[in-house]
Amino acid sequence: MKIPLYHYDIMKEREIQQPVDFNRHRRLKHTDKTFKAEISSITTLTDMEKLFHLRILDEAERERFTFLPGQFVMLEVPGYGEVPISISGSPSNKGLIELCIRKAGTVTGVLHKAKRGALVGIRGPFGTHFPLEKMKGYDILLIAGGLGLAPLRAPIFAVTENRPDYRKVDIMYGTKDPSQLLFDYQYEQWRRIDGVNLHIIVEKADDKWTGDVGLITKLFDKIEIVPHETYAIVCGPPVMFKFVCAYLSKIGVPMDRMFVSLERRMHCGMGKCCRCNIGSTYTCIDGPVFDYWTVMNLKEAI
Amino acid sequence: MLFKLLDKDEFKNLVNILLQSNEVIAPKQVGVNVTGKTLHQYLPVTSFDEIDLTYETTQYSAKTYFLPYKENLSTYRFDEKDWKQEIRYRQEPRVMLGLHACDIHALLKLDKVLARDNFPSPYYIARRKNAFIIGIDHEPCEGGFCRSLGTDTVNNGFDLFLTDLGERYFVSINTDLGYRVLLQVKTKDVTEEDTRKYLLTRKSISDAFQTHVNVQNLPNLLDLEFESKVWNKWGQKCLSCGSCSMVCPTCYCYGVTERVSMDFKSGAKVKQLYSCNLVDFATVAGGHNFRPNRETRLKYRYYHQHRGFVESYDEPKCVGCNRCGRVCLAEINPPDIIRDIQMEER
Amino acid sequence: MRYLSIEPTKPKVAVFDFTSCEGCELQLANKEETLVDFLKAVEIVNFREVSSAKSDDYEIAFIEGAVSRSDEIERLKKIREKARVLVALGCCACYGGVNKLKNAFDLSTANREIYGNYPKDSMPVRAIKDVVPVDMEIPGCPVNKEEIERIIQHLLLDINYNFPVYPVCVECKQKFNVCMFEKGQLCLGPIARAGCSAPCPTGGLGCYGCRGPAADPNYDEFFEIARRRGFAEQEVNERLSFFGGFNGIAMGVQK
Repeated sequence: MKIPLYHYDIMKEREIQQPVDFNRHRRLKHTDKTFKAEISSITTLTDMEKLFHLRILDEAERERFTFLPGQFVMLEVPGYGEVPISISGSPSNKGLIELCIRKAGTVTGVLHKAKRGALVGIRGPFGTHFPLEKMKGYDILLIAGGLGLAPLRAPIFAVTENRPDYRKVDIMYGTKDPSQLLFDYQYEQWRRIDGVNLHIIVEKADDKWTGDVGLITKLFDKIEIVPHETYAIVCGPPVMFKFVCAYLSKIGVPMDRMFVSLERRMHCGMGKCCRCNIGSTYTCIDGPVFDYWTVMNLKEAI
Repeated sequence: MLFKLLDKDEFKNLVNILLQSNEVIAPKQVGVNVTGKTLHQYLPVTSFDEIDLTYETTQYSAKTYFLPYKENLSTYRFDEKDWKQEIRYRQEPRVMLGLHACDIHALLKLDKVLARDNFPSPYYIARRKNAFIIGIDHEPCEGGFCRSLGTDTVNNGFDLFLTDLGERYFVSINTDLGYRVLLQVKTKDVTEEDTRKYLLTRKSISDAFQTHVNVQNLPNLLDLEFESKVWNKWGQKCLSCGSCSMVCPTCYCYGVTERVSMDFKSGAKVKQLYSCNLVDFATVAGGHNFRPNRETRLKYRYYHQHRGFVESYDEPKCVGCNRCGRVCLAEINPPDIIRDIQMEER
Repeated sequence: MRYLSIEPTKPKVAVFDFTSCEGCELQLANKEETLVDFLKAVEIVNFREVSSAKSDDYEIAFIEGAVSRSDEIERLKKIREKARVLVALGCCACYGGVNKLKNAFDLSTANREIYGNYPKDSMPVRAIKDVVPVDMEIPGCPVNKEEIERIIQHLLLDINYNFPVYPVCVECKQKFNVCMFEKGQLCLGPIARAGCSAPCPTGGLGCYGCRGPAADPNYDEFFEIARRRGFAEQEVNERLSFFGGFNGIAMGVQK
């Protein structure tokens, strides 16, 4: 006598047969299926950073891919690896995913060598986003240090494209030196928008630099902030957002109205691999966007 | 739940029937240690005689049959200008015979993370649903503190569960499949006398626990004692060898690497179970390590077990099997660490 | 990779042996299932063990063995000048290997003991990196062919080759082994660098640390464990010095 046990074939599950949509968190899906995307354009920003435009090949997949500013994707170069990259583009620009990538490791290194037309894989979007809905009707501070402008560019798009929803907008941006300034070709455009002020500062000037010199917090001297009517988004290295948020907190901006984006190692983006754990918090699921009060409560976050 | 009685001879028949057409994993003696104690592992078996259901504990947990140490998440075929991704999930059934309550509880905890939460894992679910699980009651193992965590008895997560009543097993039937499999052999109905005997056996097992750990208030305590010297004391001993996570029935963290074949025609995205105690666990591209110290890494392992998991799922991740304590050459073990943390509060 | 529009080059590779058993370079010709593809990916221009070709025009040089004679120093420096990339192949090249045991003895006594009345030119054994700069290291005794393949893939196409830095215990556990200490044997697993998949413990022999130390090894606790389990200092120290990877580390010596 034999008892052949039941063969469970997960491919017969109704949910998994649906098209993969990473915005449906609870639905059973092929968690490691990537959307094949073409590098449709490459813009060199600095020696270390390039802006990649990606276009998902499959039309239906492209149509389903929607994200909110602050979210990230897992970008896979098959054979090389997978890295988390925050989306730098506008959510309204359907079908185009803009990623600003610094050459830092194997995957990003080979991406910098890749040519237009190369095919990569994308999973996502993942993570939390900046609460642009809640920020409506307030003064907005958009503050970036260094590579922080990459994730900040998405909310800059969202705010400028929906200009009437927000009051005064101040964009503050600081880098080590002028050679590291990202997206310099867009500054003029941002400056010309009514009620949007762009302030740029570098820590060390070169011969040609005529703008401000110093740490980013120095820019606060130029800006009038009404603390209880302001929301802030701060993107940059921990030392930078720590000082910026401390200043804002001191002048009375509530900590739960300041938002930062944290960076950690990630291997899955889905709260499974634990690599991005900060205490009991998953940067990939509970973040990467956190309000500053939450960050203060995360041990080892800063 | 339904209950039946199964004579041990009939049980042997049942196992032989299962062995005929299925892969069976069961506790097997693999040797003796330096003090003469027998050592067991969950391993594939081909005959009833290889199985030793009287085992005290296994060095490794049963998790690797659900979360393999290494697994391909996807494979790639490279073809000139294009590539093709392929993904496969397990479809073959497997019998897991002789799991103790703690190991079944471990699966229930893994279910919460990997099957019920955001982004359910098809890899895990495919293995989990292809497993036919027969559990068994046992005398408390040395150093085990499952009773303190409420994982010494189990009410679901298995197909059949056996309690040894001498000549026969008292069988709890939890699934329709378990019921149908049991129909293949002769069983008896349970009398009042059998039930009394079963309850007595359960009680004597309960009473036999020696190790107790106070996990009450632990989530809060771990927060309060975040900077405690206790972590330096134990952290200095830690070898950062990851053995604790490897044998832990609920540790699920992993790393992903990609491989390419030597002819550059194919590749694979490989998942490997990792440990938060390993030195480069939190190292990011560019080289910065968020947890460069042993004590920090060790602390976070406990933090996840007894605080983080509680926050997410209202229960600790630990099942109290003490496999990590037994495998640790540095003698780092949960009962002692938790006792130290509790002492700090007085 | 073609799909990225990145074409691999076919680099010229040379293999040279110094003081060693030549077992590691033999690994280059091992792993038959991928050997043809391996040989397609590179051009071997100088490799005494498998080919009569002896070209001095190469980009990648694999060096097996340690340096133990003055003429080897000159030879190594010349290779370094020619090679764009120099890879230390195996434990002897990376750490000195078993050859280095000699350094614990008086050289002339050792020379007499081995060569009797016909002494050879000999000097204290040194690792390759102690003589010339090394770009990459593949540790192990012998090296694992798969790791050589990955180094080649990296040199060709920048493919990742992150060899593990954690201890052997991780891989030993992933083989379901019973801990060697449980069996009453000494094992360097907790402090030795993984990447080998723990073949020695799997075969019943405690680890000798042929891949050198893991990152940030906890020596103090390891010695404490050895002491508690009744291993004599001498045994532990002999084990540590066996492959030369644990230079200057010894039980019972204050750091």
